Amino acid sequence: MEIKFKLNRKDVVIDVDPMKRLLDVLREDFHLMGSKEGCGEGECGACTVLLDNKPITSCTANAIHANGKEILTAEGISEEPEGKLLIKCFDEANAVQCGFCFPGFLVSSYSYLQNDGEKNLDKIKTALSGNICRCTGYQKIFEGVMMACDEKENGE
Amino acid sequence: MKSIKKFDAVPKLNGTWRYLDDYQYEGMIHGQFLLSDVHHGKIKEIIFPDGFKLEDFTIVSVSDIPGTNIVPEPVNDQPFMVDDEVMHKGQVILGIAHPDKKLLNEFIKNIKVNYEELPAVIDPKKCLDDETNHFGRTDIIDHRTNAPIDPNWIKHHNVYYTPHQEQAYLEPQGTIAIYSQEKKEMFVRVTAQCPFYVKSGVENMMGNAVDNVVVESTEGLGGAFGGKEDFPSLLSGIAALLSYKAHKPVKIVLERNEDIAITTKRHPGRIEITTYTDKETKRIKKLDIDYRLDAGAYQTCSTVVMSRGILHACGGYDIPDTYIKGRMFRSNTPVNGAFRGFGAPQAFAAIEAHIDRIAKDLEMDPYEFRKVNIFRKGAEFPTTQPVVENNLEDCLDRVIEKSDYFKKVEEYKEWNETHADKKGIGIAIAYHGGGFTGNGEKNMKPKIRVTIDKDAMVKIYVSSTDMGQGAHTTLAQMFYEAIDHPREKCWVMLPNTDKTPDSGPTAASRTIYIIGNLLAKTARKIKHELGFDNLEEYVKNHQDQFPKEYFETFIPDSSVVFDDEKYVGIAYKDYSWITTVNEIYWHADTYQVELIKSWNVLDIGKVVNEKIAVGQVEGGVLQGLAYGTSEYMYKPNFGRMKGFTDYTLPTTLDIPEIDVEFIHTDNPTAKGLGEVPMNSPAPAIRNAVHFATGVMIDEYPMIPERIFTALQAKNKADV
Repeated sequence: MEIKFKLNRKDVVIDVDPMKRLLDVLREDFHLMGSKEGCGEGECGACTVLLDNKPITSCTANAIHANGKEILTAEGISEEPEGKLLIKCFDEANAVQCGFCFPGFLVSSYSYLQNDGEKNLDKIKTALSGNICRCTGYQKIFEGVMMACDEKENGE
Repeated sequence: MKSIKKFDAVPKLNGTWRYLDDYQYEGMIHGQFLLSDVHHGKIKEIIFPDGFKLEDFTIVSVSDIPGTNIVPEPVNDQPFMVDDEVMHKGQVILGIAHPDKKLLNEFIKNIKVNYEELPAVIDPKKCLDDETNHFGRTDIIDHRTNAPIDPNWIKHHNVYYTPHQEQAYLEPQGTIAIYSQEKKEMFVRVTAQCPFYVKSGVENMMGNAVDNVVVESTEGLGGAFGGKEDFPSLLSGIAALLSYKAHKPVKIVLERNEDIAITTKRHPGRIEITTYTDKETKRIKKLDIDYRLDAGAYQTCSTVVMSRGILHACGGYDIPDTYIKGRMFRSNTPVNGAFRGFGAPQAFAAIEAHIDRIAKDLEMDPYEFRKVNIFRKGAEFPTTQPVVENNLEDCLDRVIEKSDYFKKVEEYKEWNETHADKKGIGIAIAYHGGGFTGNGEKNMKPKIRVTIDKDAMVKIYVSSTDMGQGAHTTLAQMFYEAIDHPREKCWVMLPNTDKTPDSGPTAASRTIYIIGNLLAKTARKIKHELGFDNLEEYVKNHQDQFPKEYFETFIPDSSVVFDDEKYVGIAYKDYSWITTVNEIYWHADTYQVELIKSWNVLDIGKVVNEKIAVGQVEGGVLQGLAYGTSEYMYKPNFGRMKGFTDYTLPTTLDIPEIDVEFIHTDNPTAKGLGEVPMNSPAPAIRNAVHFATGVMIDEYPMIPERIFTALQAKNKADV
């Protein structure tokens, strides 16, 4: 079936099984390796992408769900100004350890920055609660997002 | 203390850093396992489904193995694939490969295996309670004095149980094997902690069928925590066999549920402690420990885990008369193996709970009781190793001061009197020996290789992998800081067994402690030999001498002498120390433990890179907290957990604030760091639960059901 959508700000068309997992479409058909498979059941968030600006786990979505929509992956977000800001802040806070979960965290954090952006630890924790990190204990990830909220607010 | 940013953070963030499943090779096909679905039994017949073109599948079984069907381990008893008798559920019966992953999965799902089922032991508690499951080997630390038992001494005898723990590295296990018929060579790219372990595993499997096995690490290694120490050998061995038969590159990536079902976990433990404590002096006079681990179906590396477990079992206490016995038990479950802490978390979970029990009976504050019994300079470990510093006590005093312990004890006691919900505060103290146990480093002879190019670029070749702990950032830093060389001119190369000497496995908190300190020493040696102030200048002026290459081997301190049969002597040259105070809030309506704050004070010696070190401790502490509150694999009448849906990993909403402080950082030696944070958080929770609810729970983790049952029993007894 022909599926048309916007992927990282570009219009794309692909002829694919509509039930193919969106994660596999991104990785296999578009060679976007940023979205990772950590659990395959929507628990860990390593495959998080934005679908019309809302974070979803692409391992539990199908190709058909993308039809006519806009998808933004970690690769796309890293080109956006606020994505760049987050990368800078996560790097500064030493938030990254093994990094496997991080494209997912980048997407969820970007979504938070876009849709709320208040420097509020409780809100940030809730916004990131769909992403599991086994290395860091999360503290440095929170620091990174708080830093980004600050810098966005102060227009640095 | 410097904080250098990690060189690989940005590519990891924007998704360009490659993990195992991101690698593609021309003509590569997918591999998957047919796994046993009974716990114990004999295979009678395997029936392949109709409707598939059998000739399109590459299928390997035991009969295809050109080498030996044994995964190399300290005890060589685990086969790559089932020979005849299935010893646990999730054992590999066949390796199967096909270009179409979906079709392969469909095919395997429809294979039928008929078994003659045999009796099986699955429940870790049942396994460990029954002495007939003992594998046979007993290790003993005997430091008995045969002093008679004084009538003034109080006896405490209790049994503590600790659960399985899943490493839950976010990147599942995976490997790619590429056979070259022309070169008679097997190339393996793998997400693994120890490339040389994988190399010897594949060599065992392939025997004389190949002349060379080359193992190269992936760019990104998505977490390991011990879980990618030995299992990758089994995985890669079978992938190699498939590639050899198919003449194509074969990739195997486990699905999460498969990974959880078949890979190694932390060993469940049963630790029985008997102590005698003098009522007058409040000193523990005698200690007896029976330390048991459920090894799973085979022994593999459990001997080493057990050895480290009994070496940490007496805790940080000065007890004149000790006897510690360690044993492994067999169950029909997948092999248990390495996980951050390596036998020590079980030991501290038990002894630190026991210490609070004695304190309670003596009506002493747990801190005061620890102060009376903590070991100080001049005391001995049960192996007769002298205690040479009071840094554990310094950590304890600092964490008490910092957390405002005594004020909170009073406040919480008062608050608890008038509230149904309860607040709790608990202490635990622990340590971890750095590097291999006893003669391990001496026998290993870890090696490094360093090259200096014509442009003064330093390349470091070590087999230590960077699995997220920042090893490659910190190792390079230790070299360039020792000679004031610019950071951008010093890099650790991707481990490759053809280019990298064997520096030993990335395990046992030995990477910075052994390899890092060796690199710093080598840097200073090169500087001394060449006599430069500035390496770049020197290279510019002596172009004819470069490129230059250096090989070094680690030489252990000659004072480190250990008898590994009798467990006498210096088990570890340096210990890292940790003390934890945990604050909890217990909900009376749900019986749930909410973590409020975890205070941790550590001595890890010199802190090379503060940001990386703090990140390591925070992550380790959270794994320790989860070990104490939510993580376990087996539930009676339910069975084993299957995935991230039922195995409860902590999320952003489950965690407390974590405070970390390092003391005694003026030490010239950087000691082990990776594992020590795992050892104290769980018992500190258990002790906080006791403070809050008044019940002592001796089976980890502190889940609501267990607290409910304990409170019910207490209320019944009180009536």
